[in-house]
Amino acid sequence: MMRKQNFKQQVINLTPFMGLLLLFAVFMVLGTIKDINVAYGMKTIVNQSIVVAIIATGAVFIYTLGSFDISLGASAAVSALTGGMAYNATGNLFVAFLVCIGLAVMISLFNSILASVFNLPVFVTTIAMLSVLNALVLVLIRLNGTGDEIAVPSAAVKPLDTIGFKLVVLIVYWCLCAFVFCFTKIGRKQKLLGGNPICAKLTGISDKKMAIIAFAMAGIGVGLGAFVSIVYAPTLTRNTASSVGMDVIIAIVFGGMPVSGGARSKIQSAVIGAFSMTFLSQIMTILNLNSGIGQMVKAAIFLLVVFVATFNQRNKMLPR
Amino acid sequence: MKKVLALMLCFALTIGCLTGCGKAPAGEEAPAEGQNETTEEQEGAQAPENEDPGVELDMSKTVKIGVLVSDSTTAESLAFQSYYKDYIASNYNVELVYSDELTDAAGEKSAIDTFITNNCKAVISFSSFDRMAQLEQCAGAGIYYAVATGTLTDDEYAQVKDNEYYVGAIGPSLEIEFQTGYDMAKYYLDQGKTRFAIFGGAIPYYTEMHIYRAAGMLTAMVEAGGGDYQGASDKDAIIGKLFETASIETGSIGSVEILGYVGGYDMDDAWFAKCGQMAQTEGLEVILAVGNGSDFFGSSIAGTDVKIASVDAYATAYGEAMEGGMLDYLAGKFSASIGPIFIATYSATLGAPIRTEDGCALALSQGYWVATSAEQFNEFYAVDSSTEAPAYTKNMLDTLLGTDYATFEAFVSKYSFEEIQTMQ
Amino acid sequence: MKRERQDKMENKVIVEVTDMTKMFGSTVALSEVSMVVRTGEILGLIGENGSGKSTVTSIIAGMQKANAGKMTYKGKDWEPVSMIDALEHGVGMIVQESGTVAGITVAENIFLGEMSGFKNKAGLIDRKAMNRKTEEILTNIGIDHIKGDMICGSLDFQDRKLIEIAKVMSKNPEVLVVDETTTALSQKGREIIYEIAKKMKNENRAVIFISHDLDEIMNVCDALTVLRDGKIIVTFSKDEFDEDLIKTSMIGRELKGDYYRSDYDGSYSDETVLEIVDGNLGNQLIHFNLSVHKGEILGVGGLSHCGMHTLGKVLFGATKLEQGKVLCEGREIKNEADAMKRKIGYVSKDRDVESLYLNASIKDNISVGGLDAFAVKNFLIFSGREKRYAQKQIEDLSIKCGSMEHYVSTLSGGNKQKVVFGKWIGRGSEILILDCPTRGVDIGVKQAMYQLMYKMKKEGKSIVIISEEMTELIGMVDRLVIMKNGMITGEFQRSSKLNETDIIQSMI
Repeated sequence: MMRKQNFKQQVINLTPFMGLLLLFAVFMVLGTIKDINVAYGMKTIVNQSIVVAIIATGAVFIYTLGSFDISLGASAAVSALTGGMAYNATGNLFVAFLVCIGLAVMISLFNSILASVFNLPVFVTTIAMLSVLNALVLVLIRLNGTGDEIAVPSAAVKPLDTIGFKLVVLIVYWCLCAFVFCFTKIGRKQKLLGGNPICAKLTGISDKKMAIIAFAMAGIGVGLGAFVSIVYAPTLTRNTASSVGMDVIIAIVFGGMPVSGGARSKIQSAVIGAFSMTFLSQIMTILNLNSGIGQMVKAAIFLLVVFVATFNQRNKMLPR
Repeated sequence: MKKVLALMLCFALTIGCLTGCGKAPAGEEAPAEGQNETTEEQEGAQAPENEDPGVELDMSKTVKIGVLVSDSTTAESLAFQSYYKDYIASNYNVELVYSDELTDAAGEKSAIDTFITNNCKAVISFSSFDRMAQLEQCAGAGIYYAVATGTLTDDEYAQVKDNEYYVGAIGPSLEIEFQTGYDMAKYYLDQGKTRFAIFGGAIPYYTEMHIYRAAGMLTAMVEAGGGDYQGASDKDAIIGKLFETASIETGSIGSVEILGYVGGYDMDDAWFAKCGQMAQTEGLEVILAVGNGSDFFGSSIAGTDVKIASVDAYATAYGEAMEGGMLDYLAGKFSASIGPIFIATYSATLGAPIRTEDGCALALSQGYWVATSAEQFNEFYAVDSSTEAPAYTKNMLDTLLGTDYATFEAFVSKYSFEEIQTMQ
Repeated sequence: MKRERQDKMENKVIVEVTDMTKMFGSTVALSEVSMVVRTGEILGLIGENGSGKSTVTSIIAGMQKANAGKMTYKGKDWEPVSMIDALEHGVGMIVQESGTVAGITVAENIFLGEMSGFKNKAGLIDRKAMNRKTEEILTNIGIDHIKGDMICGSLDFQDRKLIEIAKVMSKNPEVLVVDETTTALSQKGREIIYEIAKKMKNENRAVIFISHDLDEIMNVCDALTVLRDGKIIVTFSKDEFDEDLIKTSMIGRELKGDYYRSDYDGSYSDETVLEIVDGNLGNQLIHFNLSVHKGEILGVGGLSHCGMHTLGKVLFGATKLEQGKVLCEGREIKNEADAMKRKIGYVSKDRDVESLYLNASIKDNISVGGLDAFAVKNFLIFSGREKRYAQKQIEDLSIKCGSMEHYVSTLSGGNKQKVVFGKWIGRGSEILILDCPTRGVDIGVKQAMYQLMYKMKKEGKSIVIISEEMTELIGMVDRLVIMKNGMITGEFQRSSKLNETDIIQSMI
């Protein structure tokens, strides 16, 4: 019985991954039937998923605490714009890289420290931060003079605009996150804190310290995401990374992460979710569904995935 | 165990992605091969073309063309979309693949990646965050690229005109934009109106077409009023002034007065209040808008004698505004104006690109239809919105397939309503 | 074995269960159980955790469905679709877990889903009327300190439980199931339940009473059915009640060895390991001084609100004093992390909420307390080390589970408590603060825990037991302090002569 239950649990745990494989298979099959350039498609999918995958991987730490950060997209935008300006001022891409990471981590830390000083739930400060950052985007663009964009010369970033570089960034960062999440005390403490904050407190875990660590990890991801955004499309405008905030939330949930955080949190959710979303979009495009219907189909599949992934939790009638 | 399994699967995915990239060079070769084919076809097509324009092209294969959409809500974009979706797509053997509504350069790049994946042979772009990057990306993949509306700046054109994958742009040149503003102001100045307000649209964002339209208005006022605008008295000086301030100063230009100015699209309460205030300025006779004016000022002037003039497209809303007295003058794009660029693009994918005598990409200008009464509007609108017989019908467009530059240019240059009617 | 019982005229069968079987997956929770419930009778159900007593009653009360078998209620087939349905027909149940909604008022909780009954002419809810009615219901069952407009979340566990009881009683049920409700209640709360049960009995209605507390069940019930492993083992009538016999039938063997400790040697070291110096905290602790010594089992007793539960948290650094200090070997304990550094462990009274993360695995629950103990370089966690650590605790404490990966929520109360013990003992705690450690734990596990505490004492560890059960305190502690209104009102040394009467004197 136990074995059977374990097996069932594993199947449910693997649902998001199975979903990704299924989407991958559908993409390949449809791609072959419909005469799609599948090899280029894989590259496209990596390009389209990478920023969300990176930022969402860091955000898993925040979600594990049962919290969320609504300002991630705006933070990425501000970091990217500032990184772009830093490049234009110094002509050094590494400086731009450091500025992206540094600023994103600072914004993130500011969120969590502010929350701990005022004893507020962190997401409250992130809501305020969202407005501030959105305003900052406009200010930065205006500061830059031309009024509508901050452009890094595309030749400067071209050498880095390769799938290899981007995957290396994702893999290195993912490994760092996975290491912290699975192989250190921090990951354990965060899961307990997300699942039962009272019990965590009575086990000597400091919620403030954990929140600060989680936000710092997420900040690194935002910075990396911002830098990869610059590399991908060096013309930055007021709308740069504007959809990232929402995409991150969707990716995390799509990847099988429980919104309430806790023990079932998984570091791989973000990557699985981000890639699944992109495969789904690509499939919609192959089928040439217009964006309205496409969105609805996506929404339906999203609900289905979440339903299956949480099925076990909701349907549990425990023997007593 | 579970974790190990999950990690292994993740690893497998990564490998999958990597192999995907491993294949990428091969993938790049594929379009490159296609490229060669195109060139061959091109040569094959071009040779007879010179002898006999209007050569038979092989249209048996469905050609996929990607369309970059930057806006899917305004009247203009809806009218354009409808022409492509309802008329072009059903009359030509093409599959138009639309992007989502794009909001930044990254979105453009990502959408073009998707088009390349889907083996689109060309991209027609309504989105202008980074046109140079769009073209570079398309050319890199060996597919054609065309600007659907608007034009490139001279500098930009100089950079790309020799690029074989750049089809070109057909739209109101800045010269035409200037003229549109000039004509609009002159229309009222000739009626003896002297008290104006201006809506500057995207002037604060340094959008060229809006600056040129406004410069046209101001130039007309300088000519009629006999003064100068902030010390500038000719066209170039006025344009320079506007680029310097990204705004319009109120005040007198000789006998003409600018009583109010609003710019930007902030769309917040304060902004709307400012719009309302401006429309109700005492003594105001005309509001000249570089873009859509009736939506922002129409309700405020209801029941007064104030006239509104706008630049946009032929959409029902404007007809209603005209009938309701909320719009007096409309310089509007007609939706079929994007027909010729489609043909130029399609023709290129079929191996018969249309280039200038020097082999450069197209840079043609096309202006607006001006309606000054509801009747006139309705007449234009009936043609513009028709899905059976739009302004440019299939028969008319077919004459352009694989044609020479002179024929194409002549066709495009006769864009007024009357001229098009006589062509049919 | 069948029960021979002389039925009085009024003792009609009201509920009859025949051959009921219930499976959870392939686990048999109930196996062909047959029983009858009669009017004018309080029927006790007793058995170890997982014996099936809650399962059978929850099926009667419509919470879940049986896989096989038949039920009748008042002579007719009985298949309630939900608890609400059952309650509407007169079968009510007060459950183990808290079933009130925290964010709304007491009245709203009681009339949840039925507030439309209080609509006035304007179509709005007449809150005053609703509150009045609520207070009437509460008074009827002897509760007068809870008002209708209080927010449920602001009340303590016991009061919330009382609200649940009131909610059920407001429907005037014919059959009432009390499922281990008393475990959560203080003496006063228990009295209220006993009164309700007695009243129902006198009105010729039926009560099914589930409890772990043998003394209680023997006092309250008229008959007692013992379940074990999903089967009915025996039913005793009141005159057959015999503690040893009942215990033996519950665990299926004779209880061997000592239950509590057998010695009366109340000695311990003079060395003070943990002390509270002039602690003040509202009305919970008033100029409070107490020392715990090395190798001492210190008992703290009193009524529920005397401040002893707060004392436990204060000693662990989880609740801050307004004035005064908690010192461990001379160093101040300012928070839980300080306490853990000084090897103090704390087992909360509200085990499921405060000491466990129910929806995490047994392994996770045990290991999170011992991260320091098995992390490499005090930072890195390796799966193998973690599993070995958790496995050791599971084996040492004989935690009954299929796999350490199973959720703690799937365990019985006793095994849950063992997990909590494992969490603290595994990391080498020298001082354990145990708040009601045997609440909701069956006899077998209780015995094991008492023996464990005694073993720890002998190893020189210090234990503070905070408990409302006097027998347990008398049976186990070296020294017993009794609290009342935030102050110590009595102190007793271990002795064979110590009895409940003396102690209760200082409690009230």
